[in-house]
Amino acid sequence: MKRSVGEILGRTGIRITLILWSIAVLYPIIWMFIGSFKSNAEIYANPWGFPESFNFQNFATAWSNYNIDTSVFNSFIVTIVGALLTLVLAIPTAYAIERIKFRGSNLLFMLYVSAMMIPMVLGWIPLFFLLADLNLLDNIFGLAIVYAVSQLPFSIFVLTSFMSTIPKSLEESAAMDGMSPYGVLLKIITPLSMSGIITVTIMNAIQFWNEYFMALIFLQSKDNYTLALAIDFISSEAQYTNAWGTLFASLVIAIVPVIILYAIFQQRISKGMAEGAIKG
Amino acid sequence: MVQSKKQKYMFLAFCLIPTFIMFAIFTLYPLFSGLYYSFFDWSGSSQNKEFVGLSNYIKLISDEIIPRTIIHDYFLVVTKVIGIMILAMFFAVALTQLRIKEAPFYRIVFFFPNIMSVVVIGILWTFIYNPSLGLINSGLEFLGLESWTRPWLGDENWALPSLVLPSIWAGIGLFMLMLMGGIANVSKSYYEAAEIDGANEWQQFWKVTLPLVWPQIKISVLYIVITTLNGSFIIVQVMTGGGPNNSTHVMGSYLYQQAFVQYNFGYGATIGVMILIISLITVLVLQFFMRRDKVEY
Repeated sequence: MKRSVGEILGRTGIRITLILWSIAVLYPIIWMFIGSFKSNAEIYANPWGFPESFNFQNFATAWSNYNIDTSVFNSFIVTIVGALLTLVLAIPTAYAIERIKFRGSNLLFMLYVSAMMIPMVLGWIPLFFLLADLNLLDNIFGLAIVYAVSQLPFSIFVLTSFMSTIPKSLEESAAMDGMSPYGVLLKIITPLSMSGIITVTIMNAIQFWNEYFMALIFLQSKDNYTLALAIDFISSEAQYTNAWGTLFASLVIAIVPVIILYAIFQQRISKGMAEGAIKG
Repeated sequence: MVQSKKQKYMFLAFCLIPTFIMFAIFTLYPLFSGLYYSFFDWSGSSQNKEFVGLSNYIKLISDEIIPRTIIHDYFLVVTKVIGIMILAMFFAVALTQLRIKEAPFYRIVFFFPNIMSVVVIGILWTFIYNPSLGLINSGLEFLGLESWTRPWLGDENWALPSLVLPSIWAGIGLFMLMLMGGIANVSKSYYEAAEIDGANEWQQFWKVTLPLVWPQIKISVLYIVITTLNGSFIIVQVMTGGGPNNSTHVMGSYLYQQAFVQYNFGYGATIGVMILIISLITVLVLQFFMRRDKVEY
């Protein structure tokens, strides 16, 4: 194929744009890592350059002086409990909607799916008082329950589409052998939809780990802060204390688990998110 | 399957009822009671809850900040849709049509900000906009454009536009992938046919790619609109808190301030009802305008 000069120029232009955007994405992230190793004096003198030496003082300060250790622990609890609870609630419903014929199953599915489009911010005011009445306000388990229910529509939606690909014959023969429907759900369907379950769980976990606004509303005492709140607190403090290094260190602590998950499950995450958005 | 009707319904109940009860308590009930609260004047304690009819709604209409928050939300919607769709489409076409070796690298990098926490994105960009240390002002000084430097987030005119860039930065990857999925489904024979007819790459884009990925474009635009109207307040809260002087308040951040900072829970709920109605109307209107018969060649 012959190529005109214009085409080659066009291709070079596209390449340059791609490279520039990669830099725009990567540079702030890399620089955040670099900043976490710099002293405050260095950040002021040379905010965008490399550190003279790597020191971990910022991490130590964030960890011990700003309660990041408690917040990391809280975030892990909220993430794990929330993700597990979502599965416990979503798998049986997804199975029933996808495989069992009953009146109103379509309506129920539509109800769950349409909840994905509703702005939940209106519900947060009553939810605040509901949690207070249930003694779950300022409680990380209360937050985990709220998180789990908030991701139910998405999880049911993705799981039903995964389960629809499992051949029916497997369930039928298991039932022939006298297995109860509970057994079929637990021993046949759950293992066979593991790929979907993993996708949903990773996406929910990232969502819960990152979540900020519900935590801001539903948690109050510093001992219950999740990482997002702790970082937000350090950030507002940094306006006065100028402890930028500590702030960067806490940002790094927050982002490293996400980077690890992304490194392992990159394709699953990007495919899951794109497909979830398209079908929704 | 050999099982009695009763067993079947027992199993159905086991599968559906616990989940639905949780969903009803933590999603349906709050939404409906939010609607109910909007008719009360209420500062949080039960003694002070007073039925006031429509007066919260009258207050809403006469509140001078409300129209500004709506305009700010739509400003973000429009700039984000334009910015994200143009760049995402450009990258999607570049990565699928040009057979670039490093395409997977770009795909992985461009998508990553989509899974970063809004808090991390917001704080990172607050520092990028920092008047004295930030990358933007340093860059402008480096280029000799000192007169262009300003305290971006502290400037009433520039704070809101400054929020667009982080949102585009963080959003592009997902929509790029959605469009790439659409382009990958377009049969190569259309491009070959177009090439034989003498269409250049630009014409191929307009006549083949764009009409055939229209479903993905439509979904992407709708998705950006919905997530912006329902969630733009998060980045606002992290980066400016609605300031300076209310110049960046969007509907959701104003709700937060009214309800959870100033304890006007009834009025906050009224703002919530407004958000619900506005976003539903917007989605319906958009769906009407973007309906277009599926193109098949």
